[in-house]
Formats: sequence, structure tokens, C-alpha cells
Amino acid sequence: MAASKCTRLSSALSRQLLDSVDSVLFDCDGVIWRGDQAVPGAPEVINSLKKNGKRVFFVTNNSTKTRKMYADKLAKLGFNATADEVFGTAYCSAMYLKNVCKLDGKVYLIGSNAMRQELEEVGIQPVGVGPDPISGVQIDWANVPLDKEVQAVLVGFDEHFSYMKLNRALQYLCNLDCQFVGTNTDTRLPLEGGKAVPGTGCLLRAVETAAQRQAQVVGKPSNFMFECVASQFDLDPQRCLMVGDRLDTDIMLGSNCGLKTLLTLTGVSTVAEAEANQKSECPHRQKMVPDYYVDSIADILPALQA
Amino acid sequence: MAGTVSSSRGCVTLRGAQIRDLLDAKHNVLFDCDGVIWNGETAVTGAPEVVSLLKQRGKRVFFVTNNCTRPRENYVQKFCRLGFTDVAEEEIFSSAYCSAAYLRDVARLQGKVYVIGCGGVMKELQDAGVPVVEEDSAADREPGTSIYNCPLDPDVKAVLVGYDENFTFMKLAKACCYLRNSECLFLATDPDPWHPLRGGRITPGSGSLTAALETASSRKATVIGKPSRFMYECIASQFDLDPARSLMIGDRLETDILFGSNCGLSTVLTLTGVSTLEEAHRYRDSEAPEQKDCVPDYVVESVADFLQALEE
Repeated sequence: MAASKCTRLSSALSRQLLDSVDSVLFDCDGVIWRGDQAVPGAPEVINSLKKNGKRVFFVTNNSTKTRKMYADKLAKLGFNATADEVFGTAYCSAMYLKNVCKLDGKVYLIGSNAMRQELEEVGIQPVGVGPDPISGVQIDWANVPLDKEVQAVLVGFDEHFSYMKLNRALQYLCNLDCQFVGTNTDTRLPLEGGKAVPGTGCLLRAVETAAQRQAQVVGKPSNFMFECVASQFDLDPQRCLMVGDRLDTDIMLGSNCGLKTLLTLTGVSTVAEAEANQKSECPHRQKMVPDYYVDSIADILPALQA
Repeated sequence: MAGTVSSSRGCVTLRGAQIRDLLDAKHNVLFDCDGVIWNGETAVTGAPEVVSLLKQRGKRVFFVTNNCTRPRENYVQKFCRLGFTDVAEEEIFSSAYCSAAYLRDVARLQGKVYVIGCGGVMKELQDAGVPVVEEDSAADREPGTSIYNCPLDPDVKAVLVGYDENFTFMKLAKACCYLRNSECLFLATDPDPWHPLRGGRITPGSGSLTAALETASSRKATVIGKPSRFMYECIASQFDLDPARSLMIGDRLETDILFGSNCGLSTVLTLTGVSTLEEAHRYRDSEAPEQKDCVPDYVVESVADFLQALEE
């Protein structure tokens, strides 16, 4: 392994890198697809990796789909993948609540139907999903009836986010025994056609500010996402490669978990940003420097097909 | 460290003659409202008399509140209702009124403002003659209109966020779109993360909605309300104020007392609201210099403590 970092991945280095790992973890948005279009060459890369005997996983902060929905999207775009290889935050949050929080009760959910489904799948009952308009006056809101069985508040992407939902979450979180979990802190949610809307990070900040509490965050760069994969598939971090487009989530996760890291330039972060991090004295920024970078993951295809 | 003289001044409990001396030295008294002169719909016992007596003694009295839910004319009605007999509209400075004043007089806005806010904010903007984008719910319900695709008004030159019980994801997305233009101003009425209601209950405040929008836009809002200086400057632009002869009385260390410090006023913490004496002591004993600004000069149990000195 090269001691220097932030190196462009040449063909020769590609072969060396691929030989040194057994598993490759891919972020999705900006890496293997953009919106509902596959990054050209991406399906071939994933399918070739598998033919070469590598294991492939998909690790995404996007909480709007279940593993099954992701598997359907992957199949539709030509990727040879199964639901159990997908680790989205809807699924991982359910696992986190069950195995780490050891939740024995209901959860007040600000999130999607996908999150509701993943929670129900692990036996946790969510309350609160869907539109929740305001009615009554201020003192009514402070006195909304609370479900006594709720033991946690979980915040994910929710297009029905409203003052009333923020209020209910606050009322539950006034009880310090109530756990507080967020799917991720991404500030923007990428959409089809290159558009974006405010992300879960904005909703989470609203709840954290009102409640004056910090959420436990499940998504990248938190280690939990890797631990979730590693515990199910017995991974050796030193034989894993993390491929992503964001320095502050994907590459940070890779650094924190001792994985090799590859930045692809088809998404958010740039080489200039990576190099600036590399030059900085700050240890936090040093974790956001990839080992290698490529213009697109399609660049490693020649090494795979050789 | 042993032997070090503690720089922890402040938090002096005001009694008897000290109150009289303090009031003699001050010409202007600025009161926060919630938790100071009233709690919900109940006046703090003695507060109406204190305000009356201060005025009889020739002091000027102002009310400086971050609560943006009412326009000033509604505040006048509330003052009346709760037994404060001689409070004039010009003495009331709410964050809604001051936000409108900022847009009209400081920013000199040439265009419209997109507002995430309640009726109180809308009314103050209307009264100040600041054009507001109409929240067109009918257009929002057209098929095809969603958070992913909503029409924007090209005349918007500012976004103002405040307490809004009708806050939705759609409003957040729209405001974020407007803020992509770096020339578009970004204002927040106040930073309060939650508002206290009667019975110790709380409800989310403007600060929580502002946090969502700041995160979405990667921009920081210019905050009008306490502890920012603007509300003081708004009063000073209309009345002649000498900070050395002005006193700020509040119940929230991080807003009222910090505001007073920021403006060079003497500060009094009253214990009928949000902050406790223990919290004030923690700020006083802290090592961090910025925390010292949250330390009140004086502490009273309630504004009624001023009565004895005033009645003499």
C-alpha cells in the first residue's frame, strides 16, 4: 500500500489495490448512480468485481428506501445485487434501535414509509408517520397526548415535516430517558435530474435545537454503518475498500474504520478539496483524504477485465 | 488555582437601598416580557405597579421581547388586559416589529420578502410597508407542484424566518431556493430554541426553524432579536438613549442578559422565568470569557422587589 495519499489510481495501481482487498463497499448517490441513471460503466464494474470473487456492498445514508426497494432499483439499472448486500439508513436505523439502543417499546418516527417498514420488520412499532397538520392553540401543542410506550424519537428524511411533528418530537424528548436517534446529517438529498432538496440534516438540526439535545447518528461517517455490514459478513477492515464521492461521509467512514478509500469524482467532492484537507494541519481534516481517486468508477474496469 | 483572586463579579442580590441607588443612576429601564412582567396570561404580582411607579418617577420604560407572535397593537391590548394601565405602542419593541424596521430602514429592501412566520410577523411587515410574497396555497396544490418543483417569485430579495406553526418542508425547500442567490438577505426574528408556556411546558421556537434553514442553505442568518444589538439600536434610533443610564431586566441569561452586556447596559436577572440562580452562578464561575457576558450584574426574586424602593 502506498504511504502517500490522494493519488490518482492508474491501471497498475488498480490491479494492486484490487488484489489487496476482498470486499468493496460502494456509496450510491454520485458513485454508482445519479438520480435514476446509472453512472456509465458502473454496472459492469460491480458485476466484474463479483466475477473476480470480490464481495460487494452498498452503503447509503439515504433513508427513503427499504433494502428491497434498493435491490429493485439496482436490478433495474443492470446491477447484479441482492437486498442483503444493501445497507441504507432506513434498515440500519432499525438495526441500531434494536441492537444498540435495545429498544423495548415504540418509536416516534419523523420519516418515510420505507423507514416504517424496516422498523416493523425488526418488531419495532413506529408512530407518527405521514402528514401531521397543526390545529388548536399553543398550549394545546405543549399538551399533545403522548404515547406512553414511545421510548425513542427517530428522525429521517420526511417530506411531511411540519411544526407539529417538530413539536411532538420535542415533547417526547423532554423526557431524558427517551432516546434520540437520527439517520444521517446530510444537508441535501439528491434527486433525479441533478436536483436536490434540503436533507435530513436540516430536520435533525431543527429537533436538536428545540430539544437542546444531540442525536445519536446512525449514518456515515458514524462507524455503525460499517459495523452493521462487518458483523453480518465477517469483514476484515484491512481487506476492505470504501468507494465514495463525499469526503465528509464516505472517506471519513473509511478512515475511521481502517478501510482503504477511493474517491470518485462523479459526485459531490473535488480533488482540490481533498488536497486542501491533506495540506491542513487539522487531524479531523486529515481523515477526509482518500488513499486514491478516480474520475469515475468506470476507470477501474480495464484492470478488472484484464 | 490557589491564591488567585476570582474574577467572578456579578449576581449581586439587590436589596433595599441598593435598589434605590441603582434606579437613581438609571433613566431608562428595558423590560423583557415573558417571565419578567407576565407569565402567559397572568401578570407577575406587582409588575403593573412597578411600571407605573417608574414612569411617575420620570423614568422611561421600554419593553423588549423576542416573542414575534403578536403585532404591537395586540401587545397594547395584552398590557391593558393584565392591568398595565399606561403602556404606549411606541414603548413596545418586539422582534417582529424590529425585523420589519430592519428590512425597511437598514436593508432598505427593494423587492419582496419571503416569510416563514406567523400572523404577528406578517402584520408588522404589512404595517411597515414591506412587500411580502403571498403564500399561495392554491398554487402549491396544483398537480406537479411538489417539494421538488415549486414556482419562485423573481422579486424576492430577502428571506425572513421566525416562529411559524404552519412550517412545512415545502416552505423550507422554497426558502432554501431563494437563499441560493447570495444577494438575497437572510434574516431571523430571534434565536430562541424553544418558548416557555405556562405550567413549565415548552414549544419549539424560531431558533429551531432557523437552524433547519441555516443547515439547508449553508448560510448564517442575521438575527434581529436578543442577544443581537439590533433591537437596542432600533429603540435608540427613535429615542435618545445613554447606555450608561439604561438598565435591562430579563429572565433568560443567554438572551436578555447577554443582550444587555452586548449593548453596554447594566443587567438584572429576575427569577420568575426561565433561568435559575444556579445557572447564573455557573456562568459566573466559568473559565470561558464569552460566558462572562451572560452573568447578570444584579439578581432579584421578582420585579416586585423594586416596589419598596419606588414607593418610598
